[in-house]
Amino acid sequence: MTERLDGPQDPPADVAGGPSTGPAETPQRKRRLGPSPAVAIAFLLPAALLLGIWVIYPIVYSVFRSLFDATGTGFVGLGNYTTIFSDAGTLTTIRNNLIWVVVAPIVVTTIGLIFAVLTERIRWATAFKLIVFMPMAVSLMAAGVIFRLVYEESPDKGLANAVLTTVHDTFSSSQGYPEARPRGGDQSPVADQGGAVVTKQPAQAGQPVLVPIVGVKPELLPGDAQPAKAPAAGDGLSGTVWFDFTPGGGGTNNAVDGAEKGLPGMTVEAVRDGQVAATATTAEDGSFSFAGLPAGSYVVRLPASNFEAAYGGLSWLGPTLITPAIIGAFVWVWAGFAMVLIAAGLAAIPRDALEAARIDGATEWQVFRRITVPLLSPVLLVVFVTMIINTLKVFDLVFIIAPASVQPQANVVALEMWRVSFGGGNNQGLGSALAIFLLILVLPFMIMNIRRFRREDT
Amino acid sequence: MASIVLTNVDKIYAGGVKAVNGLNLEIRDGEFMVLVGPSGCGKSTALRMIAGLEDISGGEISIGEKVVNHLPPKDRDIAMVFQNYALYPHMTVEENLAFGLKLRKMPKPEIQKRVGEAAKMLGLETYLKRKPAALSGGQRQRVAMGRAIVREPQAFLMDEPLSNLDAKLRVSMRASLNTLHERLGVTTVYVTHDQVEAMTLGDRVCVLRDGILQQVDTPQNLFDKPVNLFVAGFMGSPAMNFVTAELVRGDGGAAVTFADIKLSIPDSTFTDKPGLDQYVGKKIILGIRPSDFEDAGSAGNHANGWATLPVKVEVTEELGSEINVLFLIDAPPVEHKDTVAAADSGEDEEASLPLVGDKSLWTARVNARSHARSGQNLDLVVDTHNLHFFDSASGLAIGHEANR
Repeated sequence: MTERLDGPQDPPADVAGGPSTGPAETPQRKRRLGPSPAVAIAFLLPAALLLGIWVIYPIVYSVFRSLFDATGTGFVGLGNYTTIFSDAGTLTTIRNNLIWVVVAPIVVTTIGLIFAVLTERIRWATAFKLIVFMPMAVSLMAAGVIFRLVYEESPDKGLANAVLTTVHDTFSSSQGYPEARPRGGDQSPVADQGGAVVTKQPAQAGQPVLVPIVGVKPELLPGDAQPAKAPAAGDGLSGTVWFDFTPGGGGTNNAVDGAEKGLPGMTVEAVRDGQVAATATTAEDGSFSFAGLPAGSYVVRLPASNFEAAYGGLSWLGPTLITPAIIGAFVWVWAGFAMVLIAAGLAAIPRDALEAARIDGATEWQVFRRITVPLLSPVLLVVFVTMIINTLKVFDLVFIIAPASVQPQANVVALEMWRVSFGGGNNQGLGSALAIFLLILVLPFMIMNIRRFRREDT
Repeated sequence: MASIVLTNVDKIYAGGVKAVNGLNLEIRDGEFMVLVGPSGCGKSTALRMIAGLEDISGGEISIGEKVVNHLPPKDRDIAMVFQNYALYPHMTVEENLAFGLKLRKMPKPEIQKRVGEAAKMLGLETYLKRKPAALSGGQRQRVAMGRAIVREPQAFLMDEPLSNLDAKLRVSMRASLNTLHERLGVTTVYVTHDQVEAMTLGDRVCVLRDGILQQVDTPQNLFDKPVNLFVAGFMGSPAMNFVTAELVRGDGGAAVTFADIKLSIPDSTFTDKPGLDQYVGKKIILGIRPSDFEDAGSAGNHANGWATLPVKVEVTEELGSEINVLFLIDAPPVEHKDTVAAADSGEDEEASLPLVGDKSLWTARVNARSHARSGQNLDLVVDTHNLHFFDSASGLAIGHEANR
């Protein structure tokens, strides 16, 4: 090879100038293809130096440091590693990481796939994709802050609970009066019976029933509540449920006074021999009446459900739901990324193959299952593995979203590493051990991804 | 097997482009129908509507007496072969062949039997375990055919299946396709832009232009009796020669004159083409097939009574068995919209030289014995029985059954 290249260059005198004279100027020396080792080293040095300083040295030093105790002077061997697997706190972090790795990549990839397939067929696909992709432009820190607000316990502040309570209230009205109770004392016509309020005396038709209630929180009193009216003696069984409290004092107990408000939305039951014979709901002035009730004496009861607190949604940031809640935020951030990648893969699938499958007798679902997904599998795998690496390294979302009180329940390895080394633990030996542990977890997936890319190149 | 009937079929794309316009076509049971036309003529769209891959904007398509307008492709019981094969890249040849049968929940032994038979018929037995990526173009083409065959459908639809193959393979696949159709006898609709394929394969050929049906007939009839200028110019290679000429009747009978040439017309032509005599004294467009020329020197006795045409040879194309002689006629090229459309898309063998100026470049196909050379003067004889006459305004063939 070398000889053949050298051959035509032997008479250097023939060539006057021109770009090909370079190697011909040193015809005596043994020439090689490509630059000399010195030149190669000169070019490699900057990159190698930076890599060494920023990547190789920290890894090596972390391994070294992980073998020492908190002060950095006492050699503990693999002691830090045994601590990782014996300490209950770190075991929780490992369990959480496991949940993350199992759930998050699958959810992200699935949602990305669904979005990608659906956006292929809609008119405003680009706009939709842009919006779904937008969270990628938000820093994880900011995303954490956003979701901290979304998951706020009070439906007035937290979007998640606002949605939940709205949906819940649409299907089951919860006009609750928590902490309200019947007026006590012997004078009172009603009494508390296991949370429900019942009349002490059986009520008869034509004899109005008075149900005085106290302890209603002013903010829970509905705005449409009207001043209660003393019930008139009518034909059927009727009565009034009212807030037996005159603002500013005055008024008679167990009697309807002018300024006292009725309690609307109360469920009232007429009970006979332990059976509910009729149900009514109080009007805005607190009055109720049972229509078409057979004559007789009944016990009037306000069931306990009237006195339950209104549905307040879920406590997202509580110890049980914190990890799923943070995974939700993670999905919000990464689904767009997955969608864009998968959509690109989708665009590369030959249309003809899909059409051929349709003609071969496949339903749309079969086309998707047996042609689209298999042809997409390389892209899906890349997205999936990238997501695994991302979930293993997740830090900021957990750090921001989980309130301090539930941080131990939400903890993940990367966060624990930081907490142990810098965030109060001050044990950089254990922190280094955790870092190395994380590195070992990520490594197989990294190698997998690199292998893939290399195979695609060739 | 079934017949396919298209009744007033329209296809209007978003934006109002009418790709297929009132297409009426009956494809008989077991027939090999070729749809041919220049690119953009709507032939592929028509095929895809039959397949169910495109919505039908108007009209009705029925396969085997059943209206299929709103049936999805899978319920039409048809198989399709695509131009770029459309094999499933993640499946082996065997799985590719069996895919359609598996979807139809066919019992395993039956699938194996059918796949085996098709593989044998197409010579694919040794490749069954390979993926499409490991096959050559011709092999992939055969797999695509096999995938259609194993289904034993009511009809085959083929969308330019041979156009991705090299020339030689195309010829041999063409022959295989013919034998295959003979053997299976399945109704086949075949789309191509190659008029040679259309002529050789089709029982009948349907010529389309701008979504409008031009003529449906046997290949021979299309060649001999084109219904208009477009069909005349599109079918046949090299393409028909056109010139604007005047029809005159003189002492020696009728004749056409153009440039300074006068070709006398036999009387039988007037009986064959009723209505032609009304054009006497008017301008018409005259068409002459290159194959109706012969070198006066090498023509045998059969050329007795043919008109003679002295020309100066510009270029010769020697094909071995015959020679294409290109020569100039001192008359402006016919600029009728139909001839232009046909020339645009057809075989671009002698796409007009810019050198010819205001003259027509004609082609004559003469016997290889003629020794015609560039620059020579040559006497050509013309078979005046096969002259084609077209109305210079409408472009319709004068005296054609369809135009009477």
